[in-house]
Amino acid sequence: MVESKACQDLVNKVIKKDLCTLCGACVGMCPYLVTHMGRVVLKDVCDLTQGRCSAYCPRMSLDLDITSRATFGIPYTWDALGITKGIFMARSTDAKVRQRVQDAGTITTLIRFALSEGFIDSAVLTRFKDKSLPKGVIVSTKEEVLACAGSSYMAAPTLEAFNREAQNVSRKKIGIVGTPCQVLGLARMKESELEGRNNLDKLKLVIGLFCTWALSYPDFAQFLEKEMTGPVLKYDIPPHPANVLHTFTEKGQIDIPLDRITPFIKPACQLCHDLTAEFADISVGSGRGKVREWNTVILRTERGMEIFDAAQSKGVIEITEIPERNLNRLKEASRNKKKRALKNIIQKTGSTDNFLYLKVQPGTVNHLLENGG
Amino acid sequence: MSIHGRDPINLIITGIGGQGNILISRLIGEVMLEDGYWVTIGETYGASQRGGSVASHVRISKSTQHGPLTPEGQADIILGLEPVESLRMLGIYGNPKTYVITNIRPIHPMAVAIGEAEYPELEKIKQAISELSQKVWYIDASEIAIRLGSPLLANMVMMGALVGTGLLPLKKEACLQQLAASFKEESLTVNMKAFTMGFIQNSS
Amino acid sequence: MTIASRDVPKTTQLLMGNEAIARGALEAGIGVAAAYPGTPSSEIIGTLAQVAKERNLYVEWSINEKVAMEVAAAASFSNVRALCAMKQNGLNVALDFLSNLNLTGVNRGLVLVVCDDPGGISSTNEQDSRHVAKALDLPLLEPATSQEAKDMTTWAFELSEEIANVCILRSVTRISHARGKVVLGELSNVEKHAYFDISRKPYATVVETPPKLHQALYQNLARIREIYESSPFNWYIGPENPELLIITCGSGWFYSVEAVRILSAVNSVGILKLGTTWPLPQKLIEKHMLQTKKILVVEEVDPFLEGNLKELAADMEPGRTWTFYGKASGHIPSFGENTPNIVINAVAKALDLKYTTRDPEYQQKSQEMVKRYVPPREPQFCAGCPHRTTFWAIKNALKLDGREGVLTGDIGCYGMGLGSSGFFQVRTMHAMGSGTGIASGMGKLNQFGFNQLVLNVCGDSTFFHAAIPALINGVHNQSHFILIVLDNSGTAMTGFQPHPGININAMGDPVPILDIESLCYALDVKVTVTDPYDINGTTEKLLEMLRNEGKPRVLISRRECALIKSRREKPPYKIQVNHDQCIGEGCGCDRFCTRVFRCPGLIWDRESRKARIDESICSGCGVCVDVCPQSAIVREVIE
Repeated sequence: MVESKACQDLVNKVIKKDLCTLCGACVGMCPYLVTHMGRVVLKDVCDLTQGRCSAYCPRMSLDLDITSRATFGIPYTWDALGITKGIFMARSTDAKVRQRVQDAGTITTLIRFALSEGFIDSAVLTRFKDKSLPKGVIVSTKEEVLACAGSSYMAAPTLEAFNREAQNVSRKKIGIVGTPCQVLGLARMKESELEGRNNLDKLKLVIGLFCTWALSYPDFAQFLEKEMTGPVLKYDIPPHPANVLHTFTEKGQIDIPLDRITPFIKPACQLCHDLTAEFADISVGSGRGKVREWNTVILRTERGMEIFDAAQSKGVIEITEIPERNLNRLKEASRNKKKRALKNIIQKTGSTDNFLYLKVQPGTVNHLLENGG
Repeated sequence: MSIHGRDPINLIITGIGGQGNILISRLIGEVMLEDGYWVTIGETYGASQRGGSVASHVRISKSTQHGPLTPEGQADIILGLEPVESLRMLGIYGNPKTYVITNIRPIHPMAVAIGEAEYPELEKIKQAISELSQKVWYIDASEIAIRLGSPLLANMVMMGALVGTGLLPLKKEACLQQLAASFKEESLTVNMKAFTMGFIQNSS
Repeated sequence: MTIASRDVPKTTQLLMGNEAIARGALEAGIGVAAAYPGTPSSEIIGTLAQVAKERNLYVEWSINEKVAMEVAAAASFSNVRALCAMKQNGLNVALDFLSNLNLTGVNRGLVLVVCDDPGGISSTNEQDSRHVAKALDLPLLEPATSQEAKDMTTWAFELSEEIANVCILRSVTRISHARGKVVLGELSNVEKHAYFDISRKPYATVVETPPKLHQALYQNLARIREIYESSPFNWYIGPENPELLIITCGSGWFYSVEAVRILSAVNSVGILKLGTTWPLPQKLIEKHMLQTKKILVVEEVDPFLEGNLKELAADMEPGRTWTFYGKASGHIPSFGENTPNIVINAVAKALDLKYTTRDPEYQQKSQEMVKRYVPPREPQFCAGCPHRTTFWAIKNALKLDGREGVLTGDIGCYGMGLGSSGFFQVRTMHAMGSGTGIASGMGKLNQFGFNQLVLNVCGDSTFFHAAIPALINGVHNQSHFILIVLDNSGTAMTGFQPHPGININAMGDPVPILDIESLCYALDVKVTVTDPYDINGTTEKLLEMLRNEGKPRVLISRRECALIKSRREKPPYKIQVNHDQCIGEGCGCDRFCTRVFRCPGLIWDRESRKARIDESICSGCGVCVDVCPQSAIVREVIE
């Protein structure tokens, strides 16, 4: 039997099946796979039956036990929030930064801190500029970091920038901020035997973002073009039950009902079980209710704790307790995402025995569907 | 040793488009014509010029004009500018009495260059050519040509090599005269040198 | 000065058939020669162009074959002998004019040389042009040797003037491109004075009814037939009552003689060689046919002569029958080019003789060895060819765009874009300019749900030859397609002849350039120009054009042919592969430059497992530097 080519497997099993989240794990390493206008494109066919593209893809043969062991040394637990060594609220102590950013400036400050203290010499972030496709960039100055603050809610192939830039010999310590699927892609690299070429030992800090879904480009961009009079400077989705997308333009704020936005959600996001970027060193999300002006922060690894504690000692970050209510709300939201993901997968395959790329025991699944972890 | 008695003498000059085998056929043809022979030369052009095989058939006769193509199995001499092309011609036009003079420098076809096919070992090609012919002269005409200044001179080296074997009823001097009549002054010396070096290789 | 024009009458020269035809025309004192390049005819006008000044000729590479015929006819109408040459496909282009010209007739000698390409070795089709002579009631001549090629051409002008009509000379590759012994005649030094007689009856078909003109033409045939009966271009060799009579023409003559010699059948086979093959010299043929009961007809492409002989035979002695061997009987294949062995086998079969090419053991051994050791060679773009890089950009742009694209193709070196050399992008290829016409049509199918992108590649020479009317059609009908003009500054495939986009003409005189951009602006067509060597830039421009759908748009991909350039200049760069950077077969490359980009200047070195440059082939263009994903290929400017 002829073995299939790695890149064609990727195309047939992930891209053509609408499972691709555009994390970028498969691109930036070779001339065959590239991203263009929000799609992963196979420009030519590579003959290899084994390749980094399919090995790193978080939607190809995902055995979370293996991935968890590679990152944390223990099997995957399906706990609501993943491995946690500490959960609290945090924010930047710099009021000017807090003004410029999405929420409370924790990520921006942490990255800037890590750069100035030498924990990293460069960072891979996502930048969007008005209506253009958001993309991964590599930065090394405080100004550049600030310029990347804020989310466009559109999927961006940020890992492409990591794959490409990690090859540069002048980069020795890299930090990255990514969505759960991107963070999972990095974890896959760690687990992969093909890892050697990707310079993963240069990766010194992974900050994950809480994420419910991402929007498709260029569809969403085209929609905005019709709705907006000028470029959008910032987006925000306030907590339930607001049900709107705030867009901030030069001329002021325009609110778009969420149900006009939801048609642009990437189909692949409906199958994602990870709300809090469970494989990062530090995961960060928005605060809600009383702690609306703060970020929710989860520390997961030694590395994460080391850098965060240092930042706190230096006084660039301040923390406070996470209210019980908020913690429970977060756990519930995360469990719901897991349930939804599994239900959607079963609906897509039409069978409770076929979980596509996800390797789970049916017993585990039933338990999850009832309790969500 | 010669094939002077044969009539017609069927000489096939083969190589890759751009190597200049057509020039050799014309020069030899002119020399034979001047000596009172009937000469016909058949050639292939066009698409085959772009890296494909090219063969010139030179039909030489004392008695009458012949057609431009050699019948299968009737080649008396195969002069090959590329080893695998020499073998290819033997496959169609060769017979146990055929003489072969061939350059041993390979030119890789596309399939080989990109790694999709293998270019056979030179020793195997040489063995095959030897088994299919009466006698073979091997010459690294490309090496000689490069030493003289350009790989394109290989065709003149091969022409000299052919004349050096004495197989054809023509003299070295007549060939040099023809070269003098055909080349511009600035390129004549080096082409004559190439011819002479090829001649020396085979005339002993 | 070429050997064909040297004033050395009665000397013996080794001339190519086409050169001999050119010489024959010079000996006939032509004034004008016009053609469009087409293998295997190009050398005729090519030779005459070289000597235009010294022989006081006007020689033109016309924009297409119809115009070439019209240009030659103009000379003939105006008291100047003229020659027109083309390949079989060119005859199709000229046919509309020719099928009116035969009815109006001409004044001074006008000879049309058509060179067929049996086997379609350098053509898109295989076609027998002789049918046209019969269909248009025009005299047909077929030379069998280089000597005849010269002599027939000279005589054809006399015949043409005798009947005041076009004379067709049909050659094939094996005559046009073969060199043979030719004894030269005297060059003509007769003065040429051009003048159109306005007092005579107009050269117009409508001055009489077409049937009347047709009738006159038909009656002409009888006169020509008489002349043919005693033509020195027909001859017979062999016994008086041959067991087998071979009737042959053109390249069949040498094949037949050789076959009879090899089979030692000189005493039982007669060969009637006809040089005048339409109309047929009936009496001559009858005389020989009545001496035998078995006839083998040897000719190239169609059973034209064979069919005409059978027509004659039907009216010969009533009740008399012959056994005909040829294409109908399968002795000679009805397709493909003749070879000496096809004819040897046909004669052997007709005589019931056994013929083995060579010792069967040798046969088997040699074929086995060839199979084992001889890799195939497919034609491909040269190293540095801008077509490779244009097709590369097209492939990339279509992949990135994501929608399906239909790329229609055309004729020229870039026709090889159909294969691996052009990354299998081309979907159609027919006649000159057809790709543009098809694109114009396809771009109007959206009302039936057609939602694929339509693109067309067309060469610069092809653009002038036939694509312009199709482009105008597209503009006028608001069709949606992109025309990509591959402008490599010449008609490369056939030998780099000039065309209206070039600054010199056939005779080497400077002429103004006809600018493709300006032509497009005149049509209100948006034009983008790109350098195909800039593969990323070209891909970007094409992507942009694909995004903006609508009326026809033109992309001119302009870069001089690498072969022309290499003959004139040394390469600009020395290219090398840095083996430390090259990752070869590994993930991240998988031999991208050799396996996917496929420039013949790049070689996969099996020993080092890395790519390397073949210096004897590399043109130094440096495009591969941008192709390599590891920046392992470097270029160094050569001082």
